[in-house]
Amino acid sequence: MDKKQKWIPALVFGALALTAAGLMAQTAATPTQTFNAAVYFDYRYYLSNAGPVTLKPTDPTTAYLSNQFVFRRAYFTYENKISDNLKFRFRLDADNTANVTGVTVSGTTVTTKTDDKLRPFIKHLYLEWSNFLVKDLTLRVGMIETLTFKLSEERWGYRSVAKTLVDGYKDITSTDIKSSSADIGVSLGTSLSKYIRVNGMVSNGAAYSHAENDQYKKFSANVQIIPIAGFSVVGYVDYERLLPKTTYPAETKPAAETCKVDVLFDKIKGLTLGGEWFVYKNDLYQTSSYVKYDVSGWSAFGRCNLIPDKLNAFARYDSYLPNSEDTAKDMSLTILGLDWAPIHSSLKIQPNIWFYHYKDGTQYKSTATSNSDVAFNMTFFLAF
Amino acid sequence: MKKMLITALAIIGLLASAAAAAPARKMIQIKGSDTMVNLVQILAEEYMSLNPAAAMAVIGGGSGTGVTGLINKTCDIANHSREWKPKEMDQAWEKGVSPRFFVIAVDGLSIIVNGKNPLEKLTMAQVGALYRGEIKNWKMLGGPDKAVSLYGRQSNSGTYTFMQEHVLVNKNYSTDMKEMNGSAQIIESILQDEGAVGYVGVGYLYDKDGKIRSGLKILNISKEPNGQAYSPLDKEAVDTKKYPVARPLYQAVNGRPSGEIARFLMWETGPEGQKIVEREGFYTIGGDYQAQNEKNFK
Repeated sequence: MDKKQKWIPALVFGALALTAAGLMAQTAATPTQTFNAAVYFDYRYYLSNAGPVTLKPTDPTTAYLSNQFVFRRAYFTYENKISDNLKFRFRLDADNTANVTGVTVSGTTVTTKTDDKLRPFIKHLYLEWSNFLVKDLTLRVGMIETLTFKLSEERWGYRSVAKTLVDGYKDITSTDIKSSSADIGVSLGTSLSKYIRVNGMVSNGAAYSHAENDQYKKFSANVQIIPIAGFSVVGYVDYERLLPKTTYPAETKPAAETCKVDVLFDKIKGLTLGGEWFVYKNDLYQTSSYVKYDVSGWSAFGRCNLIPDKLNAFARYDSYLPNSEDTAKDMSLTILGLDWAPIHSSLKIQPNIWFYHYKDGTQYKSTATSNSDVAFNMTFFLAF
Repeated sequence: MKKMLITALAIIGLLASAAAAAPARKMIQIKGSDTMVNLVQILAEEYMSLNPAAAMAVIGGGSGTGVTGLINKTCDIANHSREWKPKEMDQAWEKGVSPRFFVIAVDGLSIIVNGKNPLEKLTMAQVGALYRGEIKNWKMLGGPDKAVSLYGRQSNSGTYTFMQEHVLVNKNYSTDMKEMNGSAQIIESILQDEGAVGYVGVGYLYDKDGKIRSGLKILNISKEPNGQAYSPLDKEAVDTKKYPVARPLYQAVNGRPSGEIARFLMWETGPEGQKIVEREGFYTIGGDYQAQNEKNFK
């Protein structure tokens, strides 16, 4: 760890120790415990067959997943409000990408075989300490939610249908911008007035899927400005030093950083609008002739209530520009759909269509013969 | 491909029209305070019987649930028995919600014990000390040699917060307090437990016949150690704030109320609604609250 970074954990733990005595002296009411679960799965049907995603294989012995049920996510959350100022959260997440390496029956040989079973993993495991040191300062310690796209995800409101732009960037473009919804670390947040909120976080940077894998920490911060009721502008930055790579000998102190701006509009009853723009810079993202390139994108989304508690409509347009040096990979994604609660808010049926458009589809799959894909999803969302 | 696209769009269109075929009458969603839930349910039923075109659903869950519901736009009216916290006002600002508050009734929050408890009155400081866990035996207050059993509400209740702010002077409740989900449960527990003390809205003290429930004792409360103690059943003492644990019961809406919501609020705070408020054991709103309400209608 750099010298500069050493004082940060010391400061955090010092502050923890200072307030621990005060907290221990407080009495607390009986803990309030809650359990809840959210599950979503799709029936997916391809409405095209020649683009990079929906391309129909010519070999009849190759599977063509043109229609399938996809069990995507299951969350189980336990929260314990220990006292007025202390809350504990434990969330298990399960999806079929969380595969593990298999072990033979004898238990001695590790194989590389994986399967697609839904496997639970820990997504959140943290303590939230409100009014920490001073009024309105909130501390979170443990495996906590990152600051990267929480606000835009809340406004988009349809995580069951699609991740937001930055969250889903790798899934759509295969370009890793190293963002995650949770990471191990410490965060502090406060509201300076009703107009300004600030948050800061120090974390491993390895996200929830990995243990720390280098000596560097990721620093992130956001500032939310709410000049008028229902209208927010959020600026976000993160920075992390990276390990040098022999492939890029000129980069002795490489680093990665993200800058992001969200605009959120929530003023009109029944209508929510939002947009996000970001640029990701990584010193190790270089072309074969050692020219650095940025990765960026922007998204605009909206949802509106058609019938209270029953029916909403939503739409989103994402523009993905995987790198500034290779614009042939530019692509966009448009999502249109409905959110219908036929009986109760615990059950939602969300039919949605995804339209992909590529500047050059062969950049994503060399055999693609169309520059577009269309897929229909019937998403089922259950919460209880 | 075109055919498939048309099929998919047709499915979406079909679902949209099915949902659109749902009753066109807008259901006004009212959510929040458990202290107010019975009263507002009765008010809503009465209003709907007079105005058959109106449709309302009233649910409890605690003041915090109602406030969150209004901020997240999942309800039209929030019932709350405490004032909004600064943090909630900030969240409302962020979400574009401009709450307007209407006082629909006044509650004499009642400190109750088992009928066999010989004590007749307590000071505010003594009630605070009981709930902070500083007094553990009734003997310390001149009562019998019996351990104190504390009964209160869960933390998302407005009554819990009101008591904490005004009686416990913002200190924490004793860990020994049993957190009950509703006022009715507190009353049932007190009837069974001779060492019990609890707090409920004045409207919960009465039985079906409008009489104070037998087996309960309602303590008189004084502001100061040597001051006059008043009963929450004394309307004048509640109105003049001589009874120290009196509080307004609010409804909040987003922005200036209009349409059916405005008509309902006007009816509730008008003579017909207030008659029901009184019948249900709560107190009618005085001139100050009426003036405040009128200002918020504009």
